Amino acid sequence: MSHWLPLVIYLAIGPIAGGLLAGWDRRISARMQSRRGPPILQPFYDVLKLCQKQNLVVRRGQNFYVLFFLLLVIFTGGLFFAGSDLLLVIFALTLAAVFFVLGAYTASSPYSFIGAERELIQMMAYEPMILLTAIGMYMVTKSFSVHDIAAHGTLLVLALPGIFLGFVYALEIKFRKSPFDLSSSHHAHQELVRGITTEFSGRALAMIEVAHWYENVFLLGWVYLFFAAWPLLGVAASLLVFGFVIFVDNVFARLKWRATIRGAWAVALALGFGNILALSLLHHW
Amino acid sequence: MAGFKKSPWIIHYDASSCNGCDIETLACLTPLFDVERLGVVNTGNPKHADIFVVTGAVNEQSKSVIRNLYEQMPEPKVVVAVGACASTGGIFRQCYNICGGVDCVIPVDVYVPGCAARPEAIIDGVVRAVGVLEERHRAMAQIGDRIDQTQYLRAEKSDAPQILALQYVAYQPDAQVYGEANVPPLQQTLEELERDFERMVFVKAEVNGRLIGSARGCANRQAAELSRVMVHPYFQGRGIGHLLLTKIELAFPGVQSLQIVIGNKSEQNLRWLQRQGYQAVQTEPSTPATTTVHLHKECK
Amino acid sequence: MLTLLLLLILVPFAAGACLLGVRSDLLRRILVAAVTLAVCCGTVTLVVLPTGVKLMGPSLHHHWFSLASLAIEIAMALYVLYVGVRARHPLIVALILAQAGLMIWFEFKLGSHLEVAGNLFVDKFAVIMALINGVVGGGICLYALDYMRQYHQGAHPEIADRRPLFFALLFVFMGAMFGLIFANNLTWLMIFWEMTTLCSFVLIGYTQTDEAKRNALRALWMNLAGGLAFAVAIVLFCRHSGSGELQTLIASKPSLALLPAALLCFAGITKSAQLPFSSWLLGAMVAPTPVSALLHSSTMVKAGVYLVLRMAPVIAHTRVGLMVALVGGLTFVIGSFAAITTSEAKRVLAYSTVANLALIVLCGGLGTAEAVWAGVLLIIFHAVAKCLLFLCVGVVEHKLHSRDIEAMSGLIQKMPRVAVMMLIGMAGMFLAPFGMLISKWAVLKAVVDASPTLSVFIVFGSSATLFFWAKWMGKLLEVFQPGEPVKSELALGESIAIYGLAAATFCACLFFPLISSRFVEPYVQGVYGQSASLGQGNLIIMGLMMVIVLLFPISFIHYGRGVKVVEPYMGGANLPSNVGFLGSAGATQSAVTHNYYLRALFNEAWLSRWGVIFCAGLLAAMVVVAWL
Repeated sequence: MSHWLPLVIYLAIGPIAGGLLAGWDRRISARMQSRRGPPILQPFYDVLKLCQKQNLVVRRGQNFYVLFFLLLVIFTGGLFFAGSDLLLVIFALTLAAVFFVLGAYTASSPYSFIGAERELIQMMAYEPMILLTAIGMYMVTKSFSVHDIAAHGTLLVLALPGIFLGFVYALEIKFRKSPFDLSSSHHAHQELVRGITTEFSGRALAMIEVAHWYENVFLLGWVYLFFAAWPLLGVAASLLVFGFVIFVDNVFARLKWRATIRGAWAVALALGFGNILALSLLHHW
Repeated sequence: MAGFKKSPWIIHYDASSCNGCDIETLACLTPLFDVERLGVVNTGNPKHADIFVVTGAVNEQSKSVIRNLYEQMPEPKVVVAVGACASTGGIFRQCYNICGGVDCVIPVDVYVPGCAARPEAIIDGVVRAVGVLEERHRAMAQIGDRIDQTQYLRAEKSDAPQILALQYVAYQPDAQVYGEANVPPLQQTLEELERDFERMVFVKAEVNGRLIGSARGCANRQAAELSRVMVHPYFQGRGIGHLLLTKIELAFPGVQSLQIVIGNKSEQNLRWLQRQGYQAVQTEPSTPATTTVHLHKECK
Repeated sequence: MLTLLLLLILVPFAAGACLLGVRSDLLRRILVAAVTLAVCCGTVTLVVLPTGVKLMGPSLHHHWFSLASLAIEIAMALYVLYVGVRARHPLIVALILAQAGLMIWFEFKLGSHLEVAGNLFVDKFAVIMALINGVVGGGICLYALDYMRQYHQGAHPEIADRRPLFFALLFVFMGAMFGLIFANNLTWLMIFWEMTTLCSFVLIGYTQTDEAKRNALRALWMNLAGGLAFAVAIVLFCRHSGSGELQTLIASKPSLALLPAALLCFAGITKSAQLPFSSWLLGAMVAPTPVSALLHSSTMVKAGVYLVLRMAPVIAHTRVGLMVALVGGLTFVIGSFAAITTSEAKRVLAYSTVANLALIVLCGGLGTAEAVWAGVLLIIFHAVAKCLLFLCVGVVEHKLHSRDIEAMSGLIQKMPRVAVMMLIGMAGMFLAPFGMLISKWAVLKAVVDASPTLSVFIVFGSSATLFFWAKWMGKLLEVFQPGEPVKSELALGESIAIYGLAAATFCACLFFPLISSRFVEPYVQGVYGQSASLGQGNLIIMGLMMVIVLLFPISFIHYGRGVKVVEPYMGGANLPSNVGFLGSAGATQSAVTHNYYLRALFNEAWLSRWGVIFCAGLLAAMVVVAWL
């Protein structure tokens, strides 16, 4: 039963928590810019409105991809919180993201096309680090199962400091935050209009938004995993990481795609792989 | 529903202004005014926007752009004309290339006065627009809920103003393809339309007393010429056009064949008519700018 | 059983000989279809029959066999010598002289003293390979019938029609492949090995253009280098152990068999086009598409990794194994990166083939039970999905007269059937829950268990894989300029092959647990005494994912209801019914999009140069280490 409890909580509370986090994000960002900012519940108002708008499409098939993006993101988070295999979770996440990208391609608009390409570049940038994180956790706990990793008695972050830092770096990309908001920015005008989401309106856009909420909660759940031995510290760390991501978002300008890949891969190599190398050397001694 | 009131997303377009109103509009986003506290987001993308904020008078260049952006916004949508120029043409009104305020291209819901309009006035205009938005949404939702109760009736002369208004909205896409001057439905006046009632049969699709579609036709010896089968853009794709066409076809029981003439660049309409059993028989130039396709269907 | 194996080897040879004389198209069709059917039935029977490791004694006198094999060897060597002299290619001449001299000396000196208890054998791994060769290969032969007709009549009228030779070689190759799979006698194995090299050489040069000839020669000398290593390995092993059997070699201790095993791995690496030899496979793409599909993606190059996987128990946990694994890892990364930079469809497929074979080599180098299990799975899934992709690209090339990925924009609208099949193939290559991903997952687990540091190759390589497949999928799906759909997309033979392979891609995933537990696990169990599997819970989750993916096409029943279709956003300056916009001064601009090839980041020439240098160094180190 205890296996299923986190899953049920995630499915029910996930979007609410994710929406609130998004609300805080906008509020905190506004405060950093000495504005008042919208109400905390603003993301919910937005989604509610979008659900009632007309559905405009460029190609008739495009919204199905978004629907399956949402379904698969929920599925991914569900797998994670049900405690299953971490690699499988990553693969499911990739599948979800590919659906999103294909939806944008199907929309056949230059802006969404470039958005989709850049989204792929972002995926390529963060994927190694995410996989290395799973491998690092496996090396410490001898299991890929989220359930076993969470039940492991020691503080993972102590054994995996490099991987933790690298993971936070990858999170910046995964959250689509500046300096890595190449594919679609949350902020006003930009050269790509709205990048990958340009051609999605109404309900499809609402689904994308909700999918991001689910995704964010799942990613913060993963941050928690590093501190799972001390649950309170874990929750605090996840929130801190989220705050840090918002801070970076407001402080940095956007990078070019080349710098994004180079940076992300350098970090994955130096911090992620370095950590794994150190672990396996220690193991041999 | 709270959604519309609390999350008005805007798209801002500068038709041809001196940039005064633009700067004031963008000033609304700054910390001093911070319209984001009202949930306003400047999307820069018509597909995400609810409110179309236009500044500046409309010239020949910006006409088609305004129409295009308006077309690409999902319903329900509201247009706000910001500043004297956008409202009336302002001091540029007499210019050779200016055709007037925004309302010479698309229907405007809220006018914001000022030269340049002050941020407070613009915010006020947006808030008023939100009211219009909600009202429009409610009306559309009501119709949308009862779309299966649509009635297909003969139209009377008293329906002419409503039909003309619908015609104006429904033929906007054609204006983009052929140019406004080449689309006769957009040039028709109320008097001309009322005169048509004397020689033509009109049918209408009505929900809750609101007209959402119409078609007309006149007998011409053995054949009947049908024209202007139109449905409000928001309700297209739900089978209303098909039923309208059937209704108008039935209005001419004795004829041997039915004919429709449309422009050759209206590919979607052509395909639709072919699905309804019409066959293209002839293509010929009608005006220097347009070529028409004659479609034909035998009656059993 | 022995009869069945002999039939599988000899029937294609006989068919090949017949086809050489057949000039009538109809007769050829009938013959090809009949033989294909027979071979498929044969391999399926093989699958159904219970098989353990069996050694089959020769029914003929041993001496005659060895004479016959010697004669074939000399004939092939003479042909290669002729080719080498005619092309003035000293390397080829040197290699073939060395190899043939060695083998002839060996036959006369040691041939009669050798103990060979059984010339043929079959186990579960061999059955899998045979099934791929028979069914996938058969499908490709059917496809080739229509393809080659269009090739000569429509697409390339300037090329001399040598179809009898083409089909004869396809079947000779198929027979040789069966021989290679079932051979236990190392000398035989070598003969069949060289036979596939020769078939490949002639088929690459089929068009007889300068480029084709050049690439064929390159393929020949690289494979001959592998052949020489093979010959040296046989001589060394036989002199040491007095046995000429593959099974004995596999069962030997590393101390005795390490150097032969290393040399055989070297041969396998040349055959499966790993760095530093990968350039021959890229060059081989000049051949007609059925050849690329059959020889250069699903069967012949698999022979290389087949040999490496066979050697896995010998080289496991040795320095040699580590070197092989490093070559595999490096090739995987470099192949995947290079695939990003090119827009030519067949070249992308070739790079991806090199990369996937590299993963298998990596598994072979690691040599643990888990790794070998993953490697065999990779062979199965890769053969099916990659072959499907090659066949689809071939069809598209004929219809659109281009194999540039950029030209495939809007394929979903122009050629919906082929596009969907291609999408299935690509999903099969890199997305969960399809086969390749299952195997990559298995590889990752195996690598992490064996030596986690090697996983760095996989994580970077597979993220690049994701990029180049997904962008290609996107290119197929976007419809910028709606055009006329192509009429009669697929001919009969083509559709049988393509639909069959697409179904196989699905079935391989659906029946993955069965394939694993019935074939792969028993094999691994037999070799290592232990095996690996994915675990029940994970399989259920994969099943769930499969259901979601299958729901996707079903959702299209609700296709486009209740939506309004508008033009894409173009800054408000759209031109009607066309993705273009009104530029400044009223000029009409069309919007053109291209995929990213990231050439500023990954330089193909640079990558391959350093890849070649590093991997050549590693291979040299491997041989030296094995020597010591």
